[in-house]
Amino acid sequence: MWPTLNLGPLVVPTGALTIVLGAWLCLHLVERSARTLDQEVEKLANLAFTGLAAGIIGARLTFVLLYWPAFRASLISILWPLNTGYNMWGGLLFGALAALFYGRYHQLRPAPTLDALAPALVAGLMVVSLADFVGGPGFGTTTTLPWGVSQFAIRRHPVQIYELLVGGLALLTWLRLRRRRAFAGQLFLATTAVYGFGRLFVDAFRADAWVSAGGWHVLQLLALLATLTCLLLLAQRTLRADR
Amino acid sequence: MVRTRFEWSILILIVALLSVAWIIESRKPPIRSENALLTEAPLVGYLAPEFTAVTPSGVSHSLTDYVDRTGSDDQAQAVVLNFWASWCGPCRIEMPYFERVSRAYAGRAVVLGVNQAESAAVIEQFQAVTGVTYPLLVDEQWVVNNLYGAINLPTTVFIDARGVVRELFVGAMSQAVLEEKLNRILEEK
Repeated sequence: MWPTLNLGPLVVPTGALTIVLGAWLCLHLVERSARTLDQEVEKLANLAFTGLAAGIIGARLTFVLLYWPAFRASLISILWPLNTGYNMWGGLLFGALAALFYGRYHQLRPAPTLDALAPALVAGLMVVSLADFVGGPGFGTTTTLPWGVSQFAIRRHPVQIYELLVGGLALLTWLRLRRRRAFAGQLFLATTAVYGFGRLFVDAFRADAWVSAGGWHVLQLLALLATLTCLLLLAQRTLRADR
Repeated sequence: MVRTRFEWSILILIVALLSVAWIIESRKPPIRSENALLTEAPLVGYLAPEFTAVTPSGVSHSLTDYVDRTGSDDQAQAVVLNFWASWCGPCRIEMPYFERVSRAYAGRAVVLGVNQAESAAVIEQFQAVTGVTYPLLVDEQWVVNNLYGAINLPTTVFIDARGVVRELFVGAMSQAVLEEKLNRILEEK
């Protein structure tokens, strides 16, 4: 779409810019939701920041380890350029572990903490979709529907916009439930179930979906697992709370 | 609001059935078959625009010399198209990486350096000074640069062996990043 933004002599990659602004927004959201749920704002904000920082460093370190022979030839390239060269799985692992250790060290209870983090997690995923949309690396399957996005005379599903709508629906769920939650963890489970079910549906329209050897959409299978797990836990805890 | 055990069971059953049905419905062979229907465009997922350009010594290189859009040629190679200019600092920084990669991946991937707007004499002199051995192509009239929308330098386009654009990258990258992106394309070959 608009992969770069030219500001005088500066060339700003719009995808990266969206991610940076999105990270700031997510940290802000953590503070807001912690305040709404009467939780320790500072501790939760620090937990989110720790997870984010550890995630970025972990993603870089994992990438460096995976491509060590290339980095060994030029050690300075470990530090520069930093605009690319990150491993997503390493980042997720390091970020989650750091957040977990921080939470345990400060004795934060998992369920209420996840309730407060849920909007920021969903917003983070929405930011990735938006970055994909403005940066242009993702694209949908072909369509004749009137809201399709035309790219070089081919009309395609605006799949990232669908993902944003799913994220919006999940956030709406969180907002609707926040004042009348029956038990700790309900907000996180309900938000994840809605987001998972929505992503399961819209992933079918991704032309660049992660597809297994048998033609199955891997993300759909993961989303199904997450959705059903969350629904089962929701059912179990709602019934227990009603007793 | 769902309250009773029965209501929860029905809800979970409906969600599970709908999900499984949708997953089965949307199951499809990998996207390669769809790529064959695409048009040429300098965008990820589209067929890379065909071009022909020459080196300062007059050797001609076309994209289809290396890629095979039908997918039937086992000898087809991935192409790394790097847009550069001699005055561009970041381009010069990453050239040794392209040089190493062009040697390490010989037979599997080819690196083509498309110059932006400089004369054959300038490119020839640059090549003699830097010792770059992969083809540096002359594009004084911006024909290939315009075809790929290369305005900012360096810009690198990763094209798989079937001629589909897999990634567009603006800015300098390290050798490791270059290798990672190439490996990803070659693994899916």
